[in-house]
Order: sequence, then structure tokens, then C-alpha cells
Amino acid sequence: MADLKSLEHPTLKVPYELLNKKYRAALKGIDLKVSHVRSAALELEKGLAAETVKAGDISRLLGGVAEHLSVMKRKAEESISEELQAGYVCKRRLEHLREHATGGSQWRRSRLDRMLVEYFLRKGYYGTATRLADTSNLTNLTNIDVFLASREVEQSLAERETSKCLAWCQDNRSKLRKLKSTMEFNLRIQEYVELVRADKRVDAVRHARKHFSNFEDDQLQDVQHCMALLAFPTNTELSPYKEFLDEKRWDRLIEQFRHEYYRLFHMSNQSVFTVTLEAGLSALKTPQCYRGTKERRNPSCPVCNESFNVLASSLPMAHCSQSRLFCSISGLPLNEHNQPMMLPNGHVYGEQALQQMAADNNGNVICPKTKESFPYKKVEKVFVM
Amino acid sequence: MDACTAVEEEVDKILQKFTGIKDHADRVLSDITNHVQSLKEEMDNSPPDHELTAAQVLIMKEALGKVRETVQRLAGDHRDIHTTICKLGRAIDRNFDSDFSSVSREDVFSGPEQVQLLNQVVCQHFYRHGMLDIADELAREAGLKSEEGHKEPFTELNNILDSLKQRDLGPALAWASAHRESLETQNSSLEFKLHRLQFIGLIQEGAARQNEAIQYARTHFGQFVRRHEKEIQNLMGMFLYLPHGVNKSPYNHLLDPNLWSEIYDVFTRDACSLLGLSVDSPLSVCINAGCTALPALLKIKHLMQQRQVAGIWNGKDELPIEIDLGQENRYHSVFACPILRHPSSDSNPPMRLVCGHVISRDALNKLVSSNKLKCPYCPVEQNPAEARLIFF
Repeated sequence: MADLKSLEHPTLKVPYELLNKKYRAALKGIDLKVSHVRSAALELEKGLAAETVKAGDISRLLGGVAEHLSVMKRKAEESISEELQAGYVCKRRLEHLREHATGGSQWRRSRLDRMLVEYFLRKGYYGTATRLADTSNLTNLTNIDVFLASREVEQSLAERETSKCLAWCQDNRSKLRKLKSTMEFNLRIQEYVELVRADKRVDAVRHARKHFSNFEDDQLQDVQHCMALLAFPTNTELSPYKEFLDEKRWDRLIEQFRHEYYRLFHMSNQSVFTVTLEAGLSALKTPQCYRGTKERRNPSCPVCNESFNVLASSLPMAHCSQSRLFCSISGLPLNEHNQPMMLPNGHVYGEQALQQMAADNNGNVICPKTKESFPYKKVEKVFVM
Repeated sequence: MDACTAVEEEVDKILQKFTGIKDHADRVLSDITNHVQSLKEEMDNSPPDHELTAAQVLIMKEALGKVRETVQRLAGDHRDIHTTICKLGRAIDRNFDSDFSSVSREDVFSGPEQVQLLNQVVCQHFYRHGMLDIADELAREAGLKSEEGHKEPFTELNNILDSLKQRDLGPALAWASAHRESLETQNSSLEFKLHRLQFIGLIQEGAARQNEAIQYARTHFGQFVRRHEKEIQNLMGMFLYLPHGVNKSPYNHLLDPNLWSEIYDVFTRDACSLLGLSVDSPLSVCINAGCTALPALLKIKHLMQQRQVAGIWNGKDELPIEIDLGQENRYHSVFACPILRHPSSDSNPPMRLVCGHVISRDALNKLVSSNKLKCPYCPVEQNPAEARLIFF
């Protein structure tokens, strides 16, 4: 169960954030409709307070109230259904997590697929991610929609467009402010830089006046740099002005956007997949995986696998204070039921495998590693504490 | 599971409240709209210039009050759900770890080379599971060089395994005879087991195909006599009972359908080891190991932070605790010196003392005094030069 607790936070937190967002939007929408109803009601009240109250006028005013009421009804119905739907997403994911206890290897495989979908999305392999989610039926269990929404903004930034990202900043303004995000500020700087690049310096100044006047204290230096930029040609080699004009600044904006987007959903900067893989490789890594020739490695050991071997090279090894010994012939553990036995050449194998080999070979045993042959009588016991 | 239950309770509360408010809003708003509508109709029915009586005005005002109150209360009810929603958020944070990445180093898989390697591993994982379209899509999107060599063995194996599932031994037999020599050096009896199943299949058809079965045995079993004499004798013994039905004979264990699932496993194991592949996907093994390891690591990290000794674990050479991944996930023998409590290495290998006890060389050197060594586990006193280097 502990693995659920450690790994599944984003599985639940992200739909929760979506629910929260839906709820807030609904709150706003319903409040707006309520105020409409109230103003219609106010009209009616005024109508009733007049000296002569005519049936025709009242009928018109009543019609207004009725119309706003029915609009409100539609709105309430719509938003609450959306909220319910968001709630059911949480519920469905919880139900899936509960199957952990009974699902066995099938469940674990689907967990790996879920992790992979998320990893692909973070890496920007959207096609693979959607295909895998479809094949393994995971669309509802992964945060695929959230990532696909971020993709649009990323694409617009890659096309040197700021409007979509600015709209996103606007949408999440209060939260971003809480997170002390500099996203919007950096976007505005980029717009300014683009104006300078296009040599529309007057427009740039106008842009700066409009957007840089309400900077925070720690952004003062950036603003100063920006304004100084006006004095330099666009091909300047001077730092920091060169960096401002660098096309790579757009890529950094994309990076920043991703980062902020994840933070908004309380998602970690790293994918569950890589974190888990790192822990797993460490837990499996032994000095033997890196010793000697390839023949001495165990093809079943993941860390001995060519690619993983390179990937795990910088990771810590598993901790081991107790001996864990196996017979390399039979793969069985060496213990009191399968005594470790040493051949005269110093290699140790399990008693069972050696006895079997001796029975098949007229009382001789052959060391599988050195191919030397010895009579079984020469085999000696080894005691490992 | 407690974590799930706690969160689910909150979710259920929210769902209940939303369902409640939905029905309520629907009913109340319908009622009030109908009421207003009926008032309007009443107005419409009287001439437009008709002046409302005081009583009518009063009714209107009452209705107005009701409208205001209803919408106000509705908005209020909806607003009240806020606390329940916040509770859910807190329940999730309390019951699930949000900072699972605190024990990892961000740089491990982030370099372009590492990303490529990792993608290759993932690609092979999909090839292995027969999800070729996904692997191809990934190779395309990640810009991997599509190496046919990586794909081929899995495609072939998957095809053979698929036909084995449908009880078709043909492809597997063809594969086994093509790789006969390498299989023999591995001591594999795969080919014999395949022929055995084919033969049993013929026997099961009854006495009608008896001659065919004999013919089959003559053609194929000869080559296995050296290693499987006993089993061949058993197989041939089935002919005795053929007319009365083998399933009532002492040989009925040979008709066990489990032999089919066994052959599936044997084939996977032998073919994988022949091709130098692991039986399970290395990626799955690693991830499952990680799912066991991560909670323990997070816990120890948390504890170390609380005790303000987080610096001890630099995350460089060794994990701070032992993680038990279970029998099936141990791939290498590790000898940990019982004196030094440390795994042996090339520079500090295990040594077998004359009495048979094993300690590491560093420990041995420390225990020697005036060229004599007393075994720490038994009374035997010995010459340290007689200790032997051993290999696990």
C-alpha cells in the first residue's frame, strides 16, 4: 500500500485541482446570473412602486424576471453537472487505486503504462502518449487532457506568439501571484524585445510604459536592462543585452511555462516514471553489475542490461549488510537446505546442483565457469554467517 | 488502503452535496419560474391598461421576495460546498506524498544521451509486449534510429508464443531445431519437450492414428535417447493403454493440460537465455523494484531530515537502507562480510578459512596476530596463509 501513498499523489491531486477550478468558475457564473435576476427583480420592484401600476408594464417586467430565472436554471444545471463530472473523475481514479490490492501483475502493468503515458507527455511525445492511453484504456486514469491543454500554449510560444500564454496567465492570475510567478513579466519583456528587434523603438517604449510600470522590487534590474537595450544595436555582443535578443529566450519561456503549469497543478517537475526508475535501478544495482566481462553478468538482471547499465552508472548502489547468496547453476538460494560447496578452484555452488551433476557425470563435477572437472569427493563445505 | 478510504469519503461527500444541490436547484428554480410565469399570464389576461389593485401589488411583492430569497439561498448553498472541496484537497495532501521526487536527482535521466538510452529501453519494452505500433510511434517522435535488429527477435518470439497459446507447436519446433546446437550447450530440453507434446497430441487422437504416432516416435525420439531415455520409455508405454483410453491408465499425468502452460514458460525462458535476453522486461522489473524502494527511501529521508542528519546520505555511493525486493529480484550473489558488515569487492574479496567459515580479506588481515589466526566463529587456530580466495 505504501507505494500508492508515495506515487499516486498527482493521480488524485490533478483531477482535484480541475474540480476546484470548475467549482470556482461555476461560482462566478452562478453569481453573475443571480445578479441578473436581482436586477430584473429590482426593475419589477420599481415598477410596482410607481404611482400607477399598469398590468402591461408589470407583465413585461415579470417576463424579464422569468427569463433570467430560466437562464439561471440552465446555467446552474450546466455548471453543477460539470462539477459532478469532475468529481466522478476523482472517484473513478480512487476505485482504480483500490484495485491495487487485488489486481496483481495486471494492475502493475497498467501502472507502468500510466507512468509511461505521463513521461511521454512531459517529453512532448504526444502521439505516443495518446496511442498508448487508447490501447491500454487509460485516458480517464491519466492526466492526458491537462498536458494536451498545455501543449497548445507551448506550440503558440514555439511559433513566437505570446497571446495564448498571456491569456493563460490572465486566467490563473491569482494563483500565479501566490506562487510569485514571473511568467507574465517575462512574456512582456519578450514582446518588448521583439519590438526592439523589429526596430520599432517608439512602440517599444510605449509598450514598456504600459506594462513595466507596475514591476515588483526584484524586477527593477530587469526593467533597467530592458530600457538600456534601446541604446544598443540588435547585433550587440554585450552581455546582458545579447541574452535578451537571443532567440533561445523563447525556449526558456516554454520551459518556464511548463514549470509554472506543473506547479499550478501541484505536479512535480520530474515524472513519476523517472523517479521510480531511479529508485528501482538503485535498489537493484550491485557491484557485480559493473565487474569484468559481459559474460559474468546475469542477462536477467536489469542493471546488467546494456542501456540500463550506462544509465545507472552514476546512481548509488543497493545497501547490503547481510549476505545474499545463490547457486549460479540452479539459481536457488544457498542456505542450510542447499549448502554452499567450494570446488578446488575456489568457485562456490549449491550442494543440490553439484550432487545432481555428479550423479549425471559418473561422480565428477564440472565448474561451469572454468570448465575444469573435479571428482565430487574433493568438494568442500563453506560456512557463511 | 486507508489513504484511499479517507480520500474516497471526502469525494463521496462532495458528490452527494453536488447531486443534492443539483436536484434542489432544479426543483426550486422550476417552481419559482412557474410561479412567475403564472403571474405573468394573469397580467396578460387582463387589459394592458388595467391598474393593479393593492392586493395584486402585494402578491407581486411577495413573489418578488420569494424570487430573491430563492436565488440567494441557492447561491449560498453552492458557495458552502467550498469547505467540503477544500477538505478533499487537504485529505489528498495528507494521505499521499506530494514530494516523491525529493529522493531523486534530476540530472540522472535528463541529458540528451540518457534520454535516448531510456527511450530505447522503453521501445524494447513495447516490442517485447508486442505493442509494435506504439514502439514505432515512439521511435518516430523521439527520433530513434529504428534498429531492425532490436525488433526482430521479439517479433519472432511473440509469433511463436501466440501459436503456442493456440496449441500450435509448428513454429516453436521449427525454431528449436534451427537453434538445436545452442540449445544443447545450455542443457535445454526444450526440443524434446516440444516433440513430446506433439506426440501426446497424436496419442490423444486415439487408436486410429496409432501408426502415425509410432512413426513420429521413430523419426524424432531417437536423437534424445541419450538424455531422456526414461521419459521416452514412459511415452512409449502409453501405447499399452491406447485401446482402453490413456486417461484411465497410470500414464494419465502425461495428458495434463498444465504441460501446455509449462511449455510456454520453458520456451520463454530458454529462448530468452539463448538470445541473451531477460525473461521479464527489464523496465517492468525496475519499475516494480522502484515502487517497493521509493516509499522506504522517502520515509528514511523524512526521518533523517527530522533528526537533522540528512547530510549523511549524499546519494552518491550507496542507499542508506537495505531494500528487500523479494527472492525473484535478486540477480547477483552478494557476500557481506559478517565481521565488517560490508559487501565484498574486488579489493576485499571473500576468503574461506581452513575451518570452512568465510570472512572478507580485510577482516582476516585485522584478526591476524603474530602470524596466527583464530577463527571468530569456532575454536580452530590456523595459519592465515592457508585461507583461500573463493568466488560466489
